[in-house]
Amino acid sequence: MDKEIFKEIFLLILEIIKALCEMLWKKIKGFFCLIWDRFFGVMDISSSEQEEGQQEWGDTGEDTWPVTSKGLSLKTEESLLQVERKEAVYAPIIPDLPEDYGDNRIVLMVRDAECLFAYWELRKDVLDSIINTLGSMAHSAKIVLRVYDITDTVFNGNNAPDYFDIEVTGGARSWYIHTGKPNRSFCADIGFLTPNGTFRLIARSNSVLIPRSGVSEVVDETWMSIEALYESIDASGQFGSSESVFKSAHKNWQEILKEGVASPESPRVSPVSKK
Amino acid sequence: MEKGYLSLILHAHLPFVRHPEYTEFFEEDWLFEAITETYIPLIDVFDKLIEDGIGFRITMSITPPLLSMLTDPLLQSRYIRYIEKRIELAEKEIERTKHQPEFNRLAQMYYGYYTNARKVFAEKYRWNLVSAFKKIQDAGNLEIITCGATHGYFPLMNNNMNAMRAQVYVAVNHYEKHFGRRPHGMWLSECAYEPGIDKILRDTGIRFFIMETHGILFASPRPKYGIYAPIFCPSGIAAFGRDMESSKQVWSAREGYPGDFFYREFYRDVGFDLDYDYIRPYLHGDGKRSNIGIKYYRITGKTDQKEPYSPEKALDRAAGHAGNFLFNRQRQIEYLSTVMDRKPIVVAPYDAELFGHWWFEGPQWIDFLFRKIDSDQKEISLITPLEYLEKYPVNQVSTPSPSSWGYKGYHEYWLNESNDWIYRHLHKAAERMVELAKTYHCLSENALRNRALNQAARELLLAQSSDWAFIMKTGTMVEYAIKRTKEHLLRFTKLYDDIRSDNIDVAWLSNIECKDNIFSDIGYHIYQ
Repeated sequence: MDKEIFKEIFLLILEIIKALCEMLWKKIKGFFCLIWDRFFGVMDISSSEQEEGQQEWGDTGEDTWPVTSKGLSLKTEESLLQVERKEAVYAPIIPDLPEDYGDNRIVLMVRDAECLFAYWELRKDVLDSIINTLGSMAHSAKIVLRVYDITDTVFNGNNAPDYFDIEVTGGARSWYIHTGKPNRSFCADIGFLTPNGTFRLIARSNSVLIPRSGVSEVVDETWMSIEALYESIDASGQFGSSESVFKSAHKNWQEILKEGVASPESPRVSPVSKK
Repeated sequence: MEKGYLSLILHAHLPFVRHPEYTEFFEEDWLFEAITETYIPLIDVFDKLIEDGIGFRITMSITPPLLSMLTDPLLQSRYIRYIEKRIELAEKEIERTKHQPEFNRLAQMYYGYYTNARKVFAEKYRWNLVSAFKKIQDAGNLEIITCGATHGYFPLMNNNMNAMRAQVYVAVNHYEKHFGRRPHGMWLSECAYEPGIDKILRDTGIRFFIMETHGILFASPRPKYGIYAPIFCPSGIAAFGRDMESSKQVWSAREGYPGDFFYREFYRDVGFDLDYDYIRPYLHGDGKRSNIGIKYYRITGKTDQKEPYSPEKALDRAAGHAGNFLFNRQRQIEYLSTVMDRKPIVVAPYDAELFGHWWFEGPQWIDFLFRKIDSDQKEISLITPLEYLEKYPVNQVSTPSPSSWGYKGYHEYWLNESNDWIYRHLHKAAERMVELAKTYHCLSENALRNRALNQAARELLLAQSSDWAFIMKTGTMVEYAIKRTKEHLLRFTKLYDDIRSDNIDVAWLSNIECKDNIFSDIGYHIYQ
């Protein structure tokens, strides 16, 4: 009798241990998957082996959900998708976007009248070949952004009237550049700068124009009517043929009027409260 | 005879949120709340004004994503479910508050409010509110304008003209499909102007767009009339500037009308105030407390001790504020008419969702304002930008200054440490889309590849929606914005790889076509 009880208790304990092990196993597996995704990027989004209940919103695994062909009616679409619906309750676990795209480039963007933003992606083979040309100076060379003021200049890489350097540190892949100069044009190079002042270009950005932060000093007035321009667009019945539109626009600019009246006083911009 | 004009412009926009893969989805409520609290109340106001023979003119941008959602059968059916639940709760509230007269009459008000919304939505306009707006437009009182296809932020995609052009062309085609003619105007998302966009707009026959005040004031040459008359970009399209004075009266959290102590308090909602078990059936699946829409208190003041809302007093305040707004415009226009040799136009643009959703009494304020303008005075007439251009076809030529109506007036809200990481991916995707369109420029018999190319265009457009960057900066619902950005970019990237390797996953493609079903008749060639 006692033996039977012991046996039951023993089996019960075994069951509990088994359940605990299973829980632990699931945890380990989940953790491993997480680590795997983190380090090896996008998981196979066509895989359909995900366990039910693990499909969280944001997981691109949801893209494997039931198939429907284009143009099905609402009801069909609803019923097909019904099978796999889940409540949207979890924080997203989404594969990361690619770290890089195999490009070697720098892109310049305008943030406001005083500040630019640059992001870049540099290819290892390009960097290696430049480092090779630097020889013994390679170890002391720094990566810098060389920001050129190219206002009123057809920039060829050497003719900018003014530039400044910013040392980019910590493996940065983007930078905010405070120019403090509204209504000017800029271009930026990223490159190696050696202690003796040698600059080796890695990539050159697009050029940008920083907007004004005050009223224009130009007060000449030009006036025009554009009715005929739009009549021609309406008559054409389609858009996309910019050339003919452009021609007709020029034709109608003959109606331009000239007046010599001074502009009313315009206040400086104040911060916008709306957003 | 009037001395000047007022042009009221409402920008109606919500990002494309539609999740057929879930039975319900928290963010879809953005649309349902806006339908209930803004679009239907506005339609009611406009319908009643027309019925009463009140002449009015208003301009509204209805963005392509909003247009798509308002005409989507799945979301329409989900709206019915949403409004039914609200009606059910309002009924329960009438019962629960039967011994509290000051709340009971409000519960009855909400019951009437929700049943009316259902009636307007389901019976009057048969699930299609776009037909309501179209009817008001066809009556000549409303000018509906469009916006970038997915509210893309032009100055931050300016390194790709094709991508900018696609945002415009898709929007114009989409508008034409719904309204039977091409749009006359475009709302630049966030009023963000980028030199070059004017030429693209001009090529589609669009006549005007709206800018932030300093976009016009800083234009060069200096505009003679400031923001009180449009300027023509050298490309021939008109730019109208926002009037700060009238904006501030409505927008400003401190000085603006919506902060009046008698108006309804937005932040006291039964979703947070009532017993959890009682309200649980009306919350989302996760059971997290959220706004339901029934709100019993007025703003009261800077206190937590809120007093019950009184609709009569609030209505009285709305009438007063409409009168005050009109008075200020009269003084403004009176002054302007003495210094200008033409009739000035005061352009007052607002987010449509301010009216009704945030500012509960907003639609009534518009109603009072329009009635007062019609009957109480003669100095001001309402006008649309297009009508003003018809009256004054000759305008000063000037190049607008890049700007936006966001924080600090430029692009910082959409380009800062919280969201700058998205641009390298968005730019790359746009570049790849152009590459695809050029590679497959000939119409091909390969129907599957064409489908994949069209879907790639949809995914790119959806990723470009400025809302995601905006939400990342605001700090609420950030995870959703990140999810959407990544998801569309990952889908785009997979499509790009599949098309390039001629290995299109048809099942997967069908699935995402069903999810991201915006712009059903898009043609990827627009990226060429």
